[in-house]
Order: sequence, then C-alpha cells, then structure tokens
Amino acid sequence: MSFETTSSQPPLLVASDVSKHFTLRRTIFGRPLTKVRAVDDISFSLQPGETLAIVGESGCGKSTLGRVLMRLIEPSAGAVTLDGVELTALSNRDMLAQRSKIQLVFQDPYASLNPRMTIGQTVGEPLMLHNVVPKAQRAERVKELLKMVGLRPEHASRYPHEFSGGQRQRVVIARALASEPKILVCDEAVSALDVSIQAQVLNLLKSLQKKLGLAYIFISHDLSVVKHIADRVAVMYLGKVVELGETRKIFSTPRHPYTRALLSAIPAAHLGHGRDTAAHALAGDLPSPIDPPSGCRLHTRCPHARPECKAVDMSLDVEADGHANACAFWKELPQTDDLLGKGRATDPRLAKLFAAFSNPLPEGEQAPC
Amino acid sequence: MDASNPPPAQEPLARDDRASGSDGAVLTVNDLRVCFAGDRTTTTAVDGVSFTLRKGRSLGVVGESGSGKSVSSLAVLRLLPTDSAQISGEILFAGQDLLSIGEKQMRNLRGNQISMIFQEPMTSLNPSYTVGDQVAETILRHRSVSKAEAWTQAVEMLRLVRIPSPETRARQYPHNLSGGMRQRVMIAMALACEPQVLIADEPTTALDVTIQAQILDLLENLKSTTGTAIVLITHDLGVVAEACDDVIVMYAGQVVESGSVEQIFSFPQHPYTVGLLGSLPRLDEERDELVAIGGTVPDMTQPPAGCRFAARCPFRIEKCAETPPMLEVNPGHTSRCWRTPLEELADEF
Repeated sequence: MSFETTSSQPPLLVASDVSKHFTLRRTIFGRPLTKVRAVDDISFSLQPGETLAIVGESGCGKSTLGRVLMRLIEPSAGAVTLDGVELTALSNRDMLAQRSKIQLVFQDPYASLNPRMTIGQTVGEPLMLHNVVPKAQRAERVKELLKMVGLRPEHASRYPHEFSGGQRQRVVIARALASEPKILVCDEAVSALDVSIQAQVLNLLKSLQKKLGLAYIFISHDLSVVKHIADRVAVMYLGKVVELGETRKIFSTPRHPYTRALLSAIPAAHLGHGRDTAAHALAGDLPSPIDPPSGCRLHTRCPHARPECKAVDMSLDVEADGHANACAFWKELPQTDDLLGKGRATDPRLAKLFAAFSNPLPEGEQAPC
Repeated sequence: MDASNPPPAQEPLARDDRASGSDGAVLTVNDLRVCFAGDRTTTTAVDGVSFTLRKGRSLGVVGESGSGKSVSSLAVLRLLPTDSAQISGEILFAGQDLLSIGEKQMRNLRGNQISMIFQEPMTSLNPSYTVGDQVAETILRHRSVSKAEAWTQAVEMLRLVRIPSPETRARQYPHNLSGGMRQRVMIAMALACEPQVLIADEPTTALDVTIQAQILDLLENLKSTTGTAIVLITHDLGVVAEACDDVIVMYAGQVVESGSVEQIFSFPQHPYTVGLLGSLPRLDEERDELVAIGGTVPDMTQPPAGCRFAARCPFRIEKCAETPPMLEVNPGHTSRCWRTPLEELADEF
C-alpha cells in the first residue's frame, strides 16, 4: 500500500512496506536474539519536484530510512522503486548506475569532504564515475556547478579547509548535483549551520528545486525548517510513521498526539503566541528502540493514552485528502484549534528592513557565499 | 514520575528588585576583554563586553559560533587556560572582582555560588562514578556535611530536577541514562549548592525538542522558586523568546544589542539582530524567502576598524567606518549602530 498524492504523474520514488531490522545479538548458531526495528513497515511515494520531509527525534529511524531508500543500507523487507526500477531487486553493479539518480547531502560539511581533494576534484569525481560529460568538458562543468550553488569558479582549485561551514555545504550540494540526480536526500543538511547560514542554504535548495525540478527527501528534526521547505511531511516515532500528510495540514490540524507534542514543543521565536504547550507535552524519555512498547509505541508517554492503546496496531488511517495518521483513537482526541499560536505579526517596517537584506550589497563587496 | 514534589522551602523572594537599579544586580561584567595569543597572531575573542545580571532573572546571550559568547562565560568562571588567555576588565560578584581574587577563593565560589551547565551532557560527566556520587561530591566540597547527608541531598536534588525514581538512578552510571536525563543530572550538580548565578551554555542544543521543552520548563521553575539568576547562552532565538527576560546579542566579540526580550523581538535595533530574526522560518507566518546575511564573520585576528558588521550591512553609511558606541534607543534598549532608531530607515527601502 502506498499513499498517492492527487497528482496524475507517476510517482518518482515508491517505498512499499520497507523495514530495516538490525540484529544486535545472535545465539552461537547464528539465530538472531535481539533486534532493533529501526525502520518498520514504512510506505510512501514521492512525486517529481516534490519535497517530502521526514521528521522525528533522534533514534526514530529517519536517517536509516534515508539510507535504505538509496540502498546504502540493505532493507530487511519491502521494496524501493525509483523511476519504475525496483532498486531492491538490482545487483550491486546495476545499483551503481541507478545511484546517479538519487544523491545524498550529509549533515556535517566538515566531515563529508575529503580534506586532501580540491573542491574541483571533489565535485568532478561523480562526473567521472557516472561519465556524465566527456573528459574534456569536466573542468568546465565543475565551474558551472560551482556557480549554480553560489560559489565562484576559481574556488575549484582550493581545499575544503579554506571554506566556512556554509560554503562547504554548498560544495557538498554541488557534488550531489554533479551526477544530475532526480532526488536529493538531505540528511539534516542544515542542522550543523548557524541560522543566518542555514537560511542561505535553504534559499539555495529552494531555488535549485525550482530551476532543476529536483525532488527532495528532507530529513530533519527542526520543524520550523521543515514547514518552510516541505510540501509533505512524514512524522516518525521509534521506526514507525505516525503521521503523513501535506505540510499545511500537518501544521494546522495535526492528528497524532506525537505530532501535536512535537509542534507544541518548538520554542517560537516570536512573542505573544500564548500557546498552551503543557497540554500536549509528552512524559518521560524515548523508550529503548530494542524493546519498543507493545501496541501503540507512544502509549508510555502519550497524554491521551488509555488501556486499549497497549494492544492496538499502528496502521495508518487515511482520510479522504490523503492525511494519514496512526492513532487508533484520533477522532476522539480533543480538538486542537491553534497549536502553533498566532504570534504578533511582524512590524511592517521591520519586514521592509528584512527585505533590504536581499538587495545586493554595496559595491566592493563579494557576493554572499 | 513525581513532578509535584515541592522544592525545598525558600525565603520569599523580592521578585521586583529590577527597578532598584544596581541593587538587584548579582553579577556585573564591565569591559571584559579576552585575547588568545597565538604564534604570530593574537585573536581577540571578546572585546569589551559588559552586562548586568539581576536576581531571579534570566539573561539570554545570543550569537553565532565564534561570536565570543562561550568564551565570555568561561572567563566569568575563570576556566580559561591562564597561559594563553589574556583577560582584562571587571567581573563583579558579591562586591568583589573575580579577576583579582586568588585561585583558592575562586574554587570556593565555583560550583557553590556560581555554577555552570555545559553543552555536552555526554562528555561533562565522569563515566566511572555513579551520578549520585558526582552530585554528592559538589555538596561535600562546599558544605560541611557527612557523606550520608550529602548522598541524601544529592538524591533530593535529582528528585528536584524530576528524575524518576531518583534513589535507583543515583546509583547508576552516566551511560545508563538518556541524554535528557544526563542533562538533568548536570543541572542537579550545578544547583546542588543553590548558586546565586547559573551559567547555562547551550544546555538544550544536544537534546530533542520534546526534552528541550522539559529542560527549559525546569530552568524556569527553578528560577522562580530559588531566585537563581540564569545566564542562558544559545544560538536559538526561539529558546531566548521562551525562556529569557533580557537579551544581549553578540557579534564578533562585541555586544551589539541589549534590551528586554519584549523590546528586541518586537523591534530589534541592530541590523545584525534584524538579519537573525529574518533568517528564522516562522511557524505562524509564511515567508517565501528567508533573510540571508551576505558575507562572512570578520577574521578576529584582524578585526575591521569601525563597525564590525558594516561589511555585511545593507544599511551602512560612511559614518560606519567609525566605531559606534552603545547608543540608547529606548529606555533599557541599547544598540551599537549609528543608524538607530532603525524604524526610520524603513521608508528608504
């Protein structure tokens, strides 16, 4: 089963019942004793040019899911289909060719660039591996790619240590774009960056999407960033998708208690929102994923838990508009009218000052990078 | 989980001593300067920082990486290496200058009257002692109590920071606890001696949002019940808006704006703060494009003359080549910018 959006186009990527179980301990005969069900029976689809965000707290399995989609981690069960090709059925050699269509942007640009390779070599490597352009044109293409992500062509001869975090992340994005992918999997791609730099990279990702028609799987724990960039959101908790739907719906009418708790826990950087965060707060800590609670996995922390929750299954209940959630009793939950609160509107004069920042800097200054 | 357990009785607080000016001040930092000498260059990490912390209030220190916020707080506790860091200025606490007292006196203050919570709860606890021992150690060091008494108090502290079944948890090691619980142990250690000042350096950055909300709630509670003044260092403006009363914004080693949360979030008066606020995606409004502050932070081995933000500032004028002083824009709201009040600039754009 998969949850199609209303679009008539065939989906670019389909994950059906994907699971990944890591074996922690085996008997001496090799029979698995304990398993972590990092990704458990997850299905969704991604349309061309769409951004699907996967959110959740650390340990919920969102990064594992991202890697399973690219087959960097082999799934234990289920199938991933990219552009009509079932990735999970391919040999390793055939997979290599497919991987040019789906590329990964990592979290930490300080760790994901080889310090001994120049930026030009780093960005040029996928061009060589996937033979995207003839050898003679590679240097030219590298320069184009660097320009595309807002770096200068002459940066190609420099090494990563000469760049700031934001610039490095642009290099990582240029490298990911080199093989002309259809999908970028961004795994916490802006989490390690300072807010002003984060804004630059988010703007870049948005403009690249418009220009190149890319689809993003945007893995993040930061819901305000997700709201800004995503078209649809999948919320994960302990290996399960608990809610999946359009960004607007998820943020305005969250169904699942876990989504509500996440939304109400975000500290809002504006005043006068007057939200009641306590009503949705979760109790205690994340249980161990090795031995997740039975039934609904949230029942140990859920403010609306009832005895039946220990036995229900977590299958998604899909509404007519495609908004799906895994709470068995969501129809009986109290209404949430305004979880995010309506903060005081930005002073129009302040909004004008914000706009001034997007004007080009006075002469003699380098372009933002 | 026993959340309703009342904290130890405290004398009623004079909550409103803010108006009494310097009377409510527990910690005053004047013109703090920290330089690190390298082989060939000297880096000025903190350049003339001044602020006042008042009893029962929390002060948010905001800035991006490298702005000098953590170095300032380490300087207050005198935790910087004495061989490479040159510190000048004045740090007034309880009538004495912390920069001129002896190391022994300083050790008696640290963890006792001024304490600190570090960012990484994973690396700041000793893996080979139980958490109860580590909290009790602080109490033994500063109070003349028996070991058994210190242990009882340690368990009480763990209960106060809402660790479930504290008697059992106290006998466990850091690796048995989750990140959020370890951070709560750190807070319990920091608060064990009921300090007057608590410096929290990115206390929730390593934690998930639901746990962050619990920790911020806890700090808020402690502030109102014990009257501890809190310095909250963070890069997250959302955390500041939720948890602080006053804010200072740092950029390139200097305080560029200072005021109440209300003042700074309703209309910031420094272009850098304007850029920061604009770069945040808002949950309750649609923003097509986020503000991206062009350029990069200046090299602190050779800080630029004049206003340090000028090179990245869309509002700069010729006068910005001169170093701006902190100018008072509204009562209690100061900004290091020649072009204040910024409201008047809006018509130009």
